[in-house]
Order: sequence, then C-alpha cells, then structure tokens
Amino acid sequence: MARSKVYVASVGLTKVGDQWGKSLLDLAVEAARGAMKGAPRVKPQQVIVGNMFSAVGASQEHLGALVASALGLAGTPAFKVESACSSGGSAFHVAYSLVGAGALDSALVVGVEKMRDLEPEEVSEALAMAESAEYTQFVGATFAALNGLLARYYMEQYDVSRDELSAIPVIDHANAVAAEHAQFRRAITPEVVNRSAMVADPLRLFDCAPVGDGSAAVLLVGEAAASGAKGRLAEVLGGRVATGEFSVYERDDMLDFAATREAFKGAMAQAGLSPKKLRFAEIHDAFSVVGALALEAMGFSKRGRGAKDASDGMYRAGSELPINTFGGLKARGHPVGATGVYQVAEAYLQVTGQAGKNQVPGADYGVAHNIGGVDTTSVVHVLGRGA
Amino acid sequence: MGIRAWRNKDRYYRLVGSRCTKCGAEYFPPVYRCRKCGCETVEDKEMPKEGAIMTYTQLHEPLPGFEAQAPFYLAVVKLSNGARVLAQLVDSPDEAVKTGAKVKATVRRVRVDGDSGLITYGYKFIVEG
Repeated sequence: MARSKVYVASVGLTKVGDQWGKSLLDLAVEAARGAMKGAPRVKPQQVIVGNMFSAVGASQEHLGALVASALGLAGTPAFKVESACSSGGSAFHVAYSLVGAGALDSALVVGVEKMRDLEPEEVSEALAMAESAEYTQFVGATFAALNGLLARYYMEQYDVSRDELSAIPVIDHANAVAAEHAQFRRAITPEVVNRSAMVADPLRLFDCAPVGDGSAAVLLVGEAAASGAKGRLAEVLGGRVATGEFSVYERDDMLDFAATREAFKGAMAQAGLSPKKLRFAEIHDAFSVVGALALEAMGFSKRGRGAKDASDGMYRAGSELPINTFGGLKARGHPVGATGVYQVAEAYLQVTGQAGKNQVPGADYGVAHNIGGVDTTSVVHVLGRGA
Repeated sequence: MGIRAWRNKDRYYRLVGSRCTKCGAEYFPPVYRCRKCGCETVEDKEMPKEGAIMTYTQLHEPLPGFEAQAPFYLAVVKLSNGARVLAQLVDSPDEAVKTGAKVKATVRRVRVDGDSGLITYGYKFIVEG
C-alpha cells in the first residue's frame, strides 16, 4: 500500500482540572470542535477516541459513536482505543498508522477523561485496573504503591536523594506557569515536594500527577487532504508502540523501561532522525521516578542519572533538551486517557511555532512519550515542522 | 470477587505458581510460558515460603476494601527459588521493614468487601525477627 506522509493539521485543548460543570461528552466536543475549527475544509474520515475508564468514571462506553454523533459526524467510522494511561497515545498511533498506510486521508483523534466526578479512592480503584486484577489489585496495591516500590528501589540502587527526585516535578511546575491549559500554574521548590503528604513512601503528593478532567483533540491529514488545512502543519515523522513484561515486579531489571527504550528506538528509526536533532521532549512523568527512568530509557541520561541530571539543570527551560514544555503530567495535568493527545498537541504547537510564552526556540523536532502502566505500554511519536 | 477468589484458592492460600518443565525456572504469579527459555509447557508448583525484601513501600491511600488496614506495607519479595511476589507485610514492626530483610509467608484476611461483607483470604509476609 502506498505510504502517505502524515501531518497534524490542527489541535484543540480544554483546560485540565476541575471541570465540575462539564460532562465527559462536553469536554470531548469542546476539544474536537477546537481542532476542527482549525481546518474547516477537512472532514474527518474516522474518529478515534482515547480514553481509559469512562465506564467507571462516567458510566459510559461506546465513546466512538457518542462523540462522532455529537459532532454531526454520524456515518463516520468511530471507536475507542484503550491502553490505560497511554490510551491517548495509542489512539493517536492507530490514526497515524491508518493515514500513513493510505487507508484514510484524515482522522480526528480525541483523548478525554472525566476523573473528578469520582471520590479519590474510586480514582485509585480505576487506575489500579491498569494492573493485574488477580495479583496486584488483589494484594491492595494501588498504582501509586507500585511506583513507590519502584522509587525506593531506584533511590537505593543509584543513591538518589530526595532533592534529586524532586527535580522533575519542579521543572514541570515552572513550565506550566505560562500554559493556559495547565492544571497547576505556579512554580514550586524542591522543599514543596519534599514536605508534601506521604502517598506511598517514599513518594509524596508532589511526586504524583494530579487528578483532573480534560480533553485534547488533533486532526490528522495525509498528503491528499493536506491542501485543505489552513493552518501550519506539523509532520509526524515516526511512531512506535511497544509493550513490556506486564507487571514491573516480574521484570529481571525493574529499573529498565524496556518498552520505552524500544518505542523510542523504533520511532526515531522510522523518522530517520538522530536523537541529537531533538529540541524538546514531552515525557510521561506520572510519578517523578517514572520521568527519571523514561529519560534514561530514551538515552538522554545514563542509567541512574535521570533525576540527578534534572537536578543538575538538564531538561529545564532554556537547556539543550527541555522537557514537558507546558508542564508535563505533574503540572499540565494527567487526565489519563487524554494525556497522550495533549502531548502530541503540545508538540504540534512547538514545532509550528505557536507555543506562545512556552515556545522553545528552534523547536524543529520533538518527541511525545506516553506510558500505560509502569512502562507496560509505551508510545513514542516524533514530530517535525511540516513542509 | 467470590468466584475469582475461589478459582485462585491454591494460588492465594498456598502460593501455587508455575515451574517450567524444560529449564526449571519458577514463577509467581503463574505464567503461561517460561520467560527464560520460552517453553510453553509449565506446571503448577508450590512456591517456597521464605524470601527477602527487594523493595517496599508504605501505602497511605488504600483501595476500597483495604481501609481498615491502612497504612500498610507492600513489598516485592524475592523468594528463595528466585520468584518475585508482590505482597503485603503484616505483623512486622516499622524498624524491621527494610530492604534485604528476611520474610516468611503466612495466610491472612486480605480484603473485606464493603457491600456483601465477603472476606477474602490470601498470602501475606512477616518479617522474621
């Protein structure tokens, strides 16, 4: 089949956070309309919704048809893609693959999650469903608990200090100050992280991405439909999804994010790009330790150096490779099934020079990296400035 | 939870995992194929009940059904046969819970279902004093 170049033509974002007055569908429609308004002559040939737990969070499934119908796109094929917290990235990847294969000329990807209608323990229960019901949920382990185990192991194996672990959340918060769609727009110090409430020792509240509602949408076009887009185009140069051994505690090396390593390698190879060309990275840091291990798996930091490098000043705004330019999972927020689409939308804004106060100078190429589980599914896409 | 717990009773009460019939590698939770040699013929095997803590956490925000136990310790235990188990620690004083500490398996009440009152039992580990 003929391969087509794939472009992001436009994006739409809702603010992440407490959206008490808006339903799951309200949020999805708001983001989708934002994306469609940016390319009014492009009619999506497919709608793909990224979402993790609408059944639990909103008593709603069948999101593909629900969203398509509300947008006046009845007749259009539509379905939901789920892979826990990487649902958004996976939904984008399915659309990218279909357009790239020439099977579609255009596709609308809508990531959406409604979390705040739930009580905190219900959110924990829903997130824990990313992990084994029979052996992880069974013993009472939350998702935060698994990451707490991992954080202790990481700190003990590599002699990582509390201050060093706090560096990535600090970077996220600094970058979110000017980001209008971010959940928490205020800078913090390592002290704030270090003194926040204990969640799963050694992880504290500010090591963990917050709970929030949100939706992000992107409109993808192939070469045939690209002329119908009125705004600037970002080209999706490569993308790869990889999976790892399911439970982190079953892996020979718990600190090796093998899925991320594979996804990053595959995406960069497809893009034909050296990692040195990257000017920013939107990384999945649902927990501080996850961000550190992701940076190591992608080769930006050496093993055991992810948190230390962040603490030494790498990765902050103005550095060679800034991360999470709109606040990342910690400060932009992490409406789980929407997060991967937010990342791609933010990468689009960067490479097309529309990132406003958050603009990285010369942001020709960047990556969006989205994880489901504890690096159980990893999704990486490479975006570059479109022709 | 009722039928699922019954189906897994040997797993939950006696730590019955898997043993590879080709290379002898042992696993808990059970596996469908050997991760070391790829062999797809694995048999049930009861795990040894002794091991050591590889890493641990103390969980302050529990799942529904675990509220009465919080805060509690969870650990990745490396059993004496090399298998890795994620489990709660019980009857273990704070000062005894550390990486490398020796533990032994026991059977305890794991969860009480709020609506039906159904009690589920299963493996937990005790730090040896």
